[in-house]
Amino acid sequence: MLSLRLHRLCARSRLQSLARTYSSQSSLPPLPPQEEWRKTFTYQTVARRDRVFVRTPQAARSIAQSLFTRTPAATDKGKVVIEAFPGPGALSRALLELPSSTVRKLIILEDDPTYLKFLEPLADADPRVTVVPMSGHKWDTYSHLDEHGLLDDVEACPWDATIPDLHFVSHLAHNVYGEQLVAQLFRSIPERAWLFKYGRVPMSIIMSEWVWSRLTAGPGTSRRCKLSVIAEATADIQDAFDPALVSPYEAHFYPPPAVYKKGLSRKPGQPMYGITAVPYVDQVIQKGMTDQWDYVLRRLFVLKSTVLKDAISSLAPGAVTLLKVLGDASLPRDQRVNVSKRIRELNVADWALIHRAFDAWPFKPQDLLIGDAFMPEE
Amino acid sequence: MPSPSGSEKRPSSIHADMHGFLNRRSPYTILPTPTPEDVISQPGDIFFTDSPTQDQVSVIEACLRGLHDVPRAKGIFERLRSTRQGDPILEARMYNSFIEAYLEMAHREELNRPNWLEDAWALYNDMERGHEKVDPTPNTYALMLQAWLRYNPDSSRQPVYISGAEVHDPVSLLRNIIGRQISPALVVSDRAFTSNEEATEAIKALSKAAAEMGLASVVNELGLTEFLGKQIEDPLEDVPEVVPVMRPKKIEVVQHDDGRVTQLATDEPLPERAQGEVPFNLETLRRHLSQVVLARRVLSEDVAARQRLLEQSVYSVAVERMKHQAEMMDQLGLPSKGLQSNDLKSWMWEWHQKLQQRIKAEVENLIVEERILARMKRRSTKSEEILLSPFLRMLSPEKLSLITIMEMMNLHGSGGVQDGMKTARALLSVGRAVEAEHKAEICKKNNISIPVPAVNAPRAGVQNIFTGDGYKDLYARRVTAAKYMEDAEEWTSDWSQLIRVKVGSFLLDCIMDVATVSRTIQDPRTGEKFTEEQPAFSHSYEYQRGRKLGVIKFNPAVADRMSKDPIADTLHPRHLPMLVKPKPWLSYNNGGYLYSRSWAMRFKDSREQEIYLRHASEAGRLELVFAGLDVLGSTPWQINRRVFDVVLQVWNSGERFAKIPPAIPDEPEPVRPENMDTDNKAKVVYLERQRQWMQNKAANHSDRCSVNYKVEIARAFLGDTIYLPHNVDFRGRAYPIPPHLSHIGDDLSRGLLIFEEKKPLGTRGLRWLKIHLANLYGYDKASFDERVEYVHKHLEDIFDSADKPLEGRRWWTKADDPWQCLATCMELTSALRSPDPEAYECGLPVHQDGTCNGLQHYAALGGDAQGAAQVNLAAADRPSDVYTYVANMVEKQIEEDIKKDDPIAKLLEGKVSRKVVKQTVMTTVYGVTYVGARDQIERQLKDRGDIPAEMCWSASAYLAKNVLASIGDLFKGAKDIQNWLNLCARLIAKAIPQDRLVQSFTEPEKPNARSRKKEPRWKKEQMTSVVWTTPLGLPIVQPYRAVKRKQVMTSIQTVFISDPTSPSTVNAQKQASAFPPNFIHSLDATHMMLTALECRARGLTFASVHDSYWTHASSIDQMSEIIRDTFIALHSSDVLKGLYDEFRERYADYKIPLVSLRGNAFKKLNLAPEQLGLTSEDTKLLTEGVAEDEEMLDEDALALDEDEDELEALTEVEQEKPKKVVRKRGPRKIKSEADIEARLAGRFINLVDVLPPLPEKGKFDVKAIKESQYFFS
Repeated sequence: MLSLRLHRLCARSRLQSLARTYSSQSSLPPLPPQEEWRKTFTYQTVARRDRVFVRTPQAARSIAQSLFTRTPAATDKGKVVIEAFPGPGALSRALLELPSSTVRKLIILEDDPTYLKFLEPLADADPRVTVVPMSGHKWDTYSHLDEHGLLDDVEACPWDATIPDLHFVSHLAHNVYGEQLVAQLFRSIPERAWLFKYGRVPMSIIMSEWVWSRLTAGPGTSRRCKLSVIAEATADIQDAFDPALVSPYEAHFYPPPAVYKKGLSRKPGQPMYGITAVPYVDQVIQKGMTDQWDYVLRRLFVLKSTVLKDAISSLAPGAVTLLKVLGDASLPRDQRVNVSKRIRELNVADWALIHRAFDAWPFKPQDLLIGDAFMPEE
Repeated sequence: MPSPSGSEKRPSSIHADMHGFLNRRSPYTILPTPTPEDVISQPGDIFFTDSPTQDQVSVIEACLRGLHDVPRAKGIFERLRSTRQGDPILEARMYNSFIEAYLEMAHREELNRPNWLEDAWALYNDMERGHEKVDPTPNTYALMLQAWLRYNPDSSRQPVYISGAEVHDPVSLLRNIIGRQISPALVVSDRAFTSNEEATEAIKALSKAAAEMGLASVVNELGLTEFLGKQIEDPLEDVPEVVPVMRPKKIEVVQHDDGRVTQLATDEPLPERAQGEVPFNLETLRRHLSQVVLARRVLSEDVAARQRLLEQSVYSVAVERMKHQAEMMDQLGLPSKGLQSNDLKSWMWEWHQKLQQRIKAEVENLIVEERILARMKRRSTKSEEILLSPFLRMLSPEKLSLITIMEMMNLHGSGGVQDGMKTARALLSVGRAVEAEHKAEICKKNNISIPVPAVNAPRAGVQNIFTGDGYKDLYARRVTAAKYMEDAEEWTSDWSQLIRVKVGSFLLDCIMDVATVSRTIQDPRTGEKFTEEQPAFSHSYEYQRGRKLGVIKFNPAVADRMSKDPIADTLHPRHLPMLVKPKPWLSYNNGGYLYSRSWAMRFKDSREQEIYLRHASEAGRLELVFAGLDVLGSTPWQINRRVFDVVLQVWNSGERFAKIPPAIPDEPEPVRPENMDTDNKAKVVYLERQRQWMQNKAANHSDRCSVNYKVEIARAFLGDTIYLPHNVDFRGRAYPIPPHLSHIGDDLSRGLLIFEEKKPLGTRGLRWLKIHLANLYGYDKASFDERVEYVHKHLEDIFDSADKPLEGRRWWTKADDPWQCLATCMELTSALRSPDPEAYECGLPVHQDGTCNGLQHYAALGGDAQGAAQVNLAAADRPSDVYTYVANMVEKQIEEDIKKDDPIAKLLEGKVSRKVVKQTVMTTVYGVTYVGARDQIERQLKDRGDIPAEMCWSASAYLAKNVLASIGDLFKGAKDIQNWLNLCARLIAKAIPQDRLVQSFTEPEKPNARSRKKEPRWKKEQMTSVVWTTPLGLPIVQPYRAVKRKQVMTSIQTVFISDPTSPSTVNAQKQASAFPPNFIHSLDATHMMLTALECRARGLTFASVHDSYWTHASSIDQMSEIIRDTFIALHSSDVLKGLYDEFRERYADYKIPLVSLRGNAFKKLNLAPEQLGLTSEDTKLLTEGVAEDEEMLDEDALALDEDEDELEALTEVEQEKPKKVVRKRGPRKIKSEADIEARLAGRFINLVDVLPPLPEKGKFDVKAIKESQYFFS
């Protein structure tokens, strides 16, 4: 208890100093006082309860401050920022406190009417803001941005050139949809789909420790999963801000922590992390191969603690034959995979080799999209 | 006018005594509620044998078999006898097996002989003393008699002197035999005697003893026995023609109630000569006795021969066929052999060659390993290790290999796994198949004569079965036959799940290792050919609803053949129709197939159900259920040859046609959109369509496999008369046991089947045939006259369909049920073209279907006039159709929404047919939830195919909402009863038997029990499931309990297997929500059984698919009357009152913890404080409590590998996802929650005191259905 209080005090002193710097600029319509949030932003429904967002202006500021330090705008024209899942907009407000040489345009994606009530006034108060009343979880929303020319002023950059002046910022919902979304965003990188048609757009995502630890799990760790491999293969991932700045959860985030069981869980209440991902110029996953990678990873991670040579038959009937290729002694050492490694111990280079062998195998299954063996239930 | 609108004074079509029978208080089967697993002193033990005990018993059997390890068996046996005395698992036949084994050992080990003999006599003496409640049987006496004959001190052969146990001479034995009222004839003909000499010797010894004792009747009986043994059975068969024919005597033997066989009457003295010439033959004696004892004709050998062959030699026939196929391939010099070939049978032959070698070697290894292990562990006798080798040695490696291969093939596509199966199910199935085959071998070895039902009337009795005497007669006959069968069969034990899994895993491990196929593929780009040898089966894990499940998958090459090759050969006969009338149901686990063990009920992983059924069966309460099943099983069928020819032609063409899926899926693959790689939106739409397409493709493949089975089976039985043995599900609904081809199957199966018997149509029959045709076409909402008119208008089409089914205009293919329609077109055409249509002999089954049968029962139960009118209980000029009514209401709502510019409403305009809403309306009565309704509708929309795949979900959500709203108060009357049933079940599921409650307070807490849960003990004691008795006396036990699964590590995978022998707490939620539908089903099942029995009594052919009753066209009028009269009889008996009375008696001593009565659900109880002995404040606490504190189970935990009966899916209530309990007022509320708990804790009330009163009955008189034409139509 004592240490907790100390921690909180420290954090506060630092945040206050930051706040002082910018408080003079803030002329934005304010959010309701904290004590009213419970009433204004009720969270009885499952959908609302999982929508975690920054609650205090101080925390929002410290996040906004660090977001673009690693990927500054190429020119002093500033960046076009798309912010998804803002909630009532604490972070949006902090982003707008940044000068237009940093943020030249802020597109806010939110479909919850309650939150929209506190977002729409921002557009009136600051010409940089566009509020799109649609969910960041739907692809329709991004088509909408294109169709309405909201991104017309973003210049697409060639993949191997500098990064474009477009930046994606998002809170991640604390549920399976949030996890799906982050996985899909990373999978869009090799295909140059979604915003990546503009080039190597950086993504800054604020997420729970649960997702973060999976996303950043290195080879051999227990959290290692499909997401970790795809993320590791596609983008350079760095902390977007110091997690200590927004700790503990209950002081800086909303809604209040759910009562949860011991250990990590998907539920709100755990420490929060932020990452900024910048796609690599050289992609291990070739364009058009993402689905196949996805298949191979999914089939093998079902047995993540099993050694590769035992797990491989899970890929497809007869896949044992791939072991010959993978461990072929006539190949140079760096072209071989140690088949005695457990699935979760494999690194991206190993995965690339496994994928290559699978791709060349004439008997690989044709239906990679459908992984499940189960028939639709009658 | 024979139709229901006939005269008032018409005599009832049914036995007058049925009313009395249904009005009697049906005898309840009441057993103690199972106790929680952690309770040590268990009174319920006697009923619920636990798994470890079951395991030990299995080990005993395995050790005794072939005298594998008799000392070990003896050790376990003695321990069991001291610790589990009175457990029904310790039965006489098991004791006999020991005596037999001891005698065998005595025979084998000369040095040890006195000891073994002493053991045998000691065990016999224990049985006679009766302390262990195990009475000697004829087999026991036969064994002891044998022991005496072989080793008695005066014997000239091998005298053995025993000091440690009392030895009995024949006089003493005979005294005991007579004392137990056992017929000496049964003793001397017992299977213990294997040679004619010994049997003769036994007869002599007993005769001598009887003479000494002055028992003239016994001397006579034994004389008769000897005489019977010398009789020639069947002069035409057994006597070679060169031998002068000896005329057999007309013999009449009378069996007394006590089993004695006494009198023999011959009309003329037997010629001396003949007697002398025929030597005594034990087999002959046994057959004669079975004839006599069972008082019915024994099946003549040739009629039964094929069935016998089919069931007995299934594995050897299979191997012959596979071998034959492989040899053919060789001879034809087809591209190399075995694996290279592309033929299922050749593959299976190859696997079999390798597998049996492998199994042989592995078993030998195992034996050595286990022997070493046993030596190491000899000292520690703490627990009896289960060794596998004894079980694997019971069958030859060859048989084990075949069983494994055939089971694997048969599990293809089971459990919802595409081209594969769930590992857990595979392991269990293979284990079970080995167990079953072992038992069948024992059964065969003992060569039991199987009784068959007499030709007419249910059972042999001609008496009215609804009278007391008639019923008793039925009972007596069945018990005699059952006893005879049981005595004749050697003891075998049931295996526990663990042993099945272990045996299964051993064999699966072997087959997965050796079975391979050679697969060739052509690269579509380069045209290059690749060939690889791949495993035929592989295992992996899949995620299903977030849970990881082990699955075994077929290699694509094998899966491909499953939809093409003749596969009927891979089927076990228990999956096929029978060639003879099924064995009558002699007890709950004896009937149906001759040698394959079948149960009269399909248990849902619930030992409780089995025990209730056994008790009811033993107490003679199930006679009518058994008799009803016998009626259903004895209906003779044939394959409709004309339809079959058309089916075959279509099948071979490989085209999509009238519900037969095409050989190559013909749906075009969705086109990849150009911008798919960059536009994630386009990709999502494409993926959804692609997924749908792939699913359709997979469904097409599995449909193709399933049709393949049907066509193959039909082909195999062309020209045969076939029978479908039936059993019931746990609600009492009857189903044919063979799964692939039966009249309960789809339209194709039904079209392929026809009654074997043909009957002239007559005027009325011709009319019904036409109405039937209109019904099948889908024109079933009009009046009967209009339906006839409809057929007359389409006569051209009908003739064309019959004459040129494929080449013509194909009118029939547009019918709702095309194949049945075709069959009817053919019959009608033949009839109309015959010189005298009314004399035309027709075997086509004509159906009478209840209109929304569930609602009909509700309306009758509640006397609900409005409901009765909706579902045709009340007479009307036209049939009323609830489904169309609701569909129209929904269409109206859609029109409204279109005005509001709703895109989904626009999409659905004009697409809401009766069919879309039908299932949902039907299941509303059974309490379908919104989620369930949405899924049903989604399926229907997908089937329509005119709604884009990615829109189906939202469209079905929209429709489900509107359908449920439209149904609204349409079914008000049903709703009241539903609520009442639900509330009763809810209370019962919370209740605890009083004695358990008392005990649970006094019992010390187990110290080692993990006490992290602070919940009160009584929560663990809520073990009471809802049990009731149908008017026919069948006890129904709802199986829903918390799912507990044990992890079992096998060499293949780790699987989770539920153990039906360790009951857990009830799932109160499911007990309550499933009770209304289950109760209604138990009623419709009763109605069907009554109708079946009456139809048989009137000589009508009968078949049924739940609420669809079938008979010959000419018999429809008669059946219609019976249907109505049985329905009236059933509902005149005030069914709900009966249920209420039963609950009051059954649960008289049950208590409910007050705390568990909190919540909304119980507000309906309107409990008065004084009723509960509470202050009004406490009552207020109760009723104001927040959302009910259900022990909601994690829904996912229920999902794992449930052995779902597919047939259940339609009506079983879906369980709603556990609702998140929403805390409305924050922490303050929680505190008051705890307050309530504290105030009410430890207080209990009587269940019967709070049972809600019956809902008031309406004015509708069920007798009015006599006048309703469209009640069933």
